[in-house]
Amino acid sequence: MELLLWALSFFIDLALMASTFYQLVILTDLEADYINIYDTASRINRIVIPEFIVQGVLCAVFLITWHWFMFLMTVPLACYHVMLFLKRQHLFDVTEAFRFLSAEKKFRMIKLGFYLAVFAIITFRLALSVFNFLSDAEDAVHLF
Amino acid sequence: MGTENPGRQQFPPARPVATPFSVAPPQNMMPFSSSGPVVGSEASGFRPIPPGAPQPMVPSSTHVVGSQASGFRPSPITRFSDPSVPSPPTANVPPIAGQFQRFPAPHFPSTVQAPLSHAPPIGQPLAQPPAPPVSFRPRPQIPPVPMGSPPQTVNPAVPSLSAPYSSSDSMYQAPRPNFQSSFPGYVRMQSNADSQAPPIPPPFPTHQGGYASSAPPPSSYPYLAQPGGYVPHPPVAAPLGMQSRDQMQHFGSGPPSGSIQGLMEDFSSLSIASVPGSIDPGIDSKSLPRPLEGDVEPKLLAEMYPMNCDPRYLRLTTSAIPSSQSLSSRWHLPLGAIICPLAEAPDGEEVPVVNFTSTGIIRCRRCRTYVNPFVTFTDSGRKWRCNICSLLNDVPGEYFAHLDASGIRIDLDQRPELTKGSVEFVAPTEYMMRPPMPPVYFFLIDVSISAVRSGMIEIVAQTIRSCLDELPGFPRTQIGFATFDSAIHFYNMKSSLTQPQMMVVSDLDDIFVPLPDDLLVNLSESRSVVEAFLDSLPSMFNDNANVESAFGPALKAAFMVMNQLGGKLLIFQNTLPSLGVGRLKLRGDDLRVYGTDKENMLRLPEDPFYKQMAAELTKYQISVNVYALSDKYTDIASLGTLAKYTGGQVYYYPSFQSAIHGEKLRNELTRDLTRETAWEAVMRIRCGKGVRFSSYHGNFMLRSTDLMALPAVDCDKAYAAQLSLEDTLLTTPTVYFQVALLYTASCGERRIRVHTAAAPVVADLGEMYRQADCGAIVSLFSRLAIEKTLSHKLEDARNSLQLRIVKALKEYRNLYAVQHRLGGRMIYPESLKFLPLYGLALCRSKPLRGGYADASLDERCSAGYTMVALPVKKLLKLLYPSFIRLDEYLLKASAQVDDLKRLPLAAENLDARGLYLYDDGFRFVIWFGRALSPDIAMNLLGADFAAELLKVNLKERDKEMSRKLMSTLEKFRESDRSYYQQCHLVRQGEQPIEGFLLLSNLVEDQMGGSNGYVDWLLQIHRQVQQNA
Repeated sequence: MELLLWALSFFIDLALMASTFYQLVILTDLEADYINIYDTASRINRIVIPEFIVQGVLCAVFLITWHWFMFLMTVPLACYHVMLFLKRQHLFDVTEAFRFLSAEKKFRMIKLGFYLAVFAIITFRLALSVFNFLSDAEDAVHLF
Repeated sequence: MGTENPGRQQFPPARPVATPFSVAPPQNMMPFSSSGPVVGSEASGFRPIPPGAPQPMVPSSTHVVGSQASGFRPSPITRFSDPSVPSPPTANVPPIAGQFQRFPAPHFPSTVQAPLSHAPPIGQPLAQPPAPPVSFRPRPQIPPVPMGSPPQTVNPAVPSLSAPYSSSDSMYQAPRPNFQSSFPGYVRMQSNADSQAPPIPPPFPTHQGGYASSAPPPSSYPYLAQPGGYVPHPPVAAPLGMQSRDQMQHFGSGPPSGSIQGLMEDFSSLSIASVPGSIDPGIDSKSLPRPLEGDVEPKLLAEMYPMNCDPRYLRLTTSAIPSSQSLSSRWHLPLGAIICPLAEAPDGEEVPVVNFTSTGIIRCRRCRTYVNPFVTFTDSGRKWRCNICSLLNDVPGEYFAHLDASGIRIDLDQRPELTKGSVEFVAPTEYMMRPPMPPVYFFLIDVSISAVRSGMIEIVAQTIRSCLDELPGFPRTQIGFATFDSAIHFYNMKSSLTQPQMMVVSDLDDIFVPLPDDLLVNLSESRSVVEAFLDSLPSMFNDNANVESAFGPALKAAFMVMNQLGGKLLIFQNTLPSLGVGRLKLRGDDLRVYGTDKENMLRLPEDPFYKQMAAELTKYQISVNVYALSDKYTDIASLGTLAKYTGGQVYYYPSFQSAIHGEKLRNELTRDLTRETAWEAVMRIRCGKGVRFSSYHGNFMLRSTDLMALPAVDCDKAYAAQLSLEDTLLTTPTVYFQVALLYTASCGERRIRVHTAAAPVVADLGEMYRQADCGAIVSLFSRLAIEKTLSHKLEDARNSLQLRIVKALKEYRNLYAVQHRLGGRMIYPESLKFLPLYGLALCRSKPLRGGYADASLDERCSAGYTMVALPVKKLLKLLYPSFIRLDEYLLKASAQVDDLKRLPLAAENLDARGLYLYDDGFRFVIWFGRALSPDIAMNLLGADFAAELLKVNLKERDKEMSRKLMSTLEKFRESDRSYYQQCHLVRQGEQPIEGFLLLSNLVEDQMGGSNGYVDWLLQIHRQVQQNA
């Protein structure tokens, strides 16, 4: 059970990191003028909501399985996402893109760092649970 | 102050100075080598002696100089002494030489600069621009050393380079006059100097002869003269001009002795500008500075760089670019430019059109800069050096021309792109994404009941019909119409029809466009159908009782019609959008929101639909002009977004009634339809290495970091950009700016309009202040403040504006006050004497004033959208309107319009016996004093004079006086046609109209919670002095 949870959150977090990294790359491209602003906006805005949902799910999973430390760690970001959504600032604004470009980049950079930290913990816990699982299995073998 | 210079400049030891000279002499005639060193020696000698009596030694003989110098710096002496042998260089000295000879003398002591300019050459003596610009600002800061040194500075570098060209230079007379004009100043100074330093002996003049011959050429034709490497000159020339101006006055009055003179110089400039005894409340409000002359364009830069584009196209907030980041951070005012790329030029000064058919447009390979007067040709004309990135480019074969002896292309007089700061290139097909579009006008007209009742439809239809002949771009112009209430009505105007066919689409959720090809038609082909339509339009909806407005769906439909071509979309909106996408709620009536953090949300579009639509419209080259004519809240904040991001404009006519506002709408719509328009344009501003435009402000959308997308531009739009320094230190002496606007002209030609300007880099804050352009600063401030209201409270926006003014004045004060113990006086640079007043006016302007009750939300927003697009002159007029007393002028038959004097905007100037005109460029308010002779009122108003003036329309009557008034008003309107000043009449004491129309706009008066001019100045002064 534990193993399953950590494996699941491992992949979810990986997906979140990938999406954030992708957005960051697009923004950098925009800054360097490799991509036009309308494409940028449509590409980013397409994945913003899914990312929010997935992140919320991750947070909820921790809550349900009562991993309160991981929950407390992820819940601020989830709240922030909800706030952005309610304020309708979650989407990339085409008209003012360049005014907020650096802020948007910074936000995603921090988010990426945060996901990385979470990822490290998850990986550790995953390894631990795999080890436990294996040693349990071994114990079981020994019991015979 | 004084201490600063040395620190900043790191005076290079005199030694380096020497080296360049030793190199230089061989390259040119003797005289120079001799003169150069002398300068150098002086410089080295004097610098250290701050206030000392510098002159005498100079003239006496070079040896003396040497000895003096030796006191401080032993090394240079030996070198200097030998070359100093005076040799008459007069061979190519222009007639001016005589004067010239004298003029350098007084300057000698200036010292500081000399070393600077020398410094760079150390590395590469010639190819590298010395840092001359640097040299001229030190002036003010080194009060002890009274004379303007720059000319000398120049010399050392100059002789080697420019002397050979001087002959050719003489060809260019234009610059000369400038140069000469600056002379008198020097001459005068000279005389002073003479008196103070009698010892100036004969040997000296000869030296100067040397100078003279060398100096004039660079100044007279700074750029062209030098091939590639010699960028340094321009700045060199610059100081001459500036200095002469600045110093003229000072010197004129200055007492003889060096140190005192330095002091005096500061004082004199200050006492002109300072408010005496401003601490005690009894300021003489009459003596406060007021821009009664209107906007004054900065002349200095134009004199320094005669080839710069006219200030009407590009104005820098300061013509002196700071050389380091630390310096620019001490300049608390905005650093940037106001650009009006298509400004109307007076007859005879139109921008020349250049067609490079065979060669393609000449541009720098690396930075894509267009060829301009500041590029230099080298390698006998086969290469040219880009002035912005200094890359050496090949000259295409067809563009090749030989260089004459001075390195100037022999075909220069046939090449406007090499002599004029503004040119227009005809763009070949590489500059087109698609064939150039025809001018397209699409009208989206609200026909709901309130629109019908206000009479708007009739006026619009009539006006469009009367403009059909004048629409630009005949015979390619295309035109189309749609109307909407709760449904959308399209009109088929195919040329084969005799009457337009109306098609109604009432499904608002799923818009489709019937007959997409026949809704937008060629005007010349379908002329009769269009006319028939416009004739019948007013009556068509006469008894329409529909109150709904499906604005959003109608906008989408218009977008679908237009997105093949792009063009201009004119929206006439009379009610709050109530149906379909983009429907809006009544908001902004809520008094409680003001003063809270949510206040700014009222000024932002409510529905993201508007921003998305705006982005889409821009993408398809559609520009939106919104005409809002409602008597109720229409949410201009949301509607205006469409105009803001598409390069359009918002016209707002609150409570529109055709009888009252008809004339205004008619005139402004006519202007909108007939003015020359640039279509599907993009604009980019390039600038030299080390600086970068970091933010842009105005009505447009950025398509990439520095590319402004402007679906339609015209002469009434200006854009602002802020500059930031990328490198911590600028190494070039001059920064160049190039504005390029790529657009399709109405005639179907793709063109690039290029404006190029140069500005010196300075290392001295005082110089930045001296070169500041108040108009441009205020323009940029107003844009920043209005943008701030979108994310902050009004109060925050006002406070931050005030804070910046205070900081700037404080910094300026720190430059001078300590030295001169100015105690209680308020000091500010001459160039910024109106800044506090304009700051006050800005805080009192509609977008920023007061709180909830002081202006309606719609008025605020529309004024905000308008002000961010206004050119400098127009904006200043709006901030500080002209205020004129008319009664005497009307009574006196001989009085001319030019005799009218502008009055300060204060109620104390209102005389109950007078008749006053208030003109802010958008409207006239005519104020009738209570005790105005009934004669005048009768003459002007006829029988209406007793009626309620609000309802009275001023029209020409069969009276001499009435005709005179009307012709005067017409004259004022003619001076700027971008908006039509509607005439409001108000009688003294007629509240609340009087307060609303006039009294609240008298910016110098105290009003509600805001300060009057005197209090405002005191408040600023107090803040400046706090921990100063």
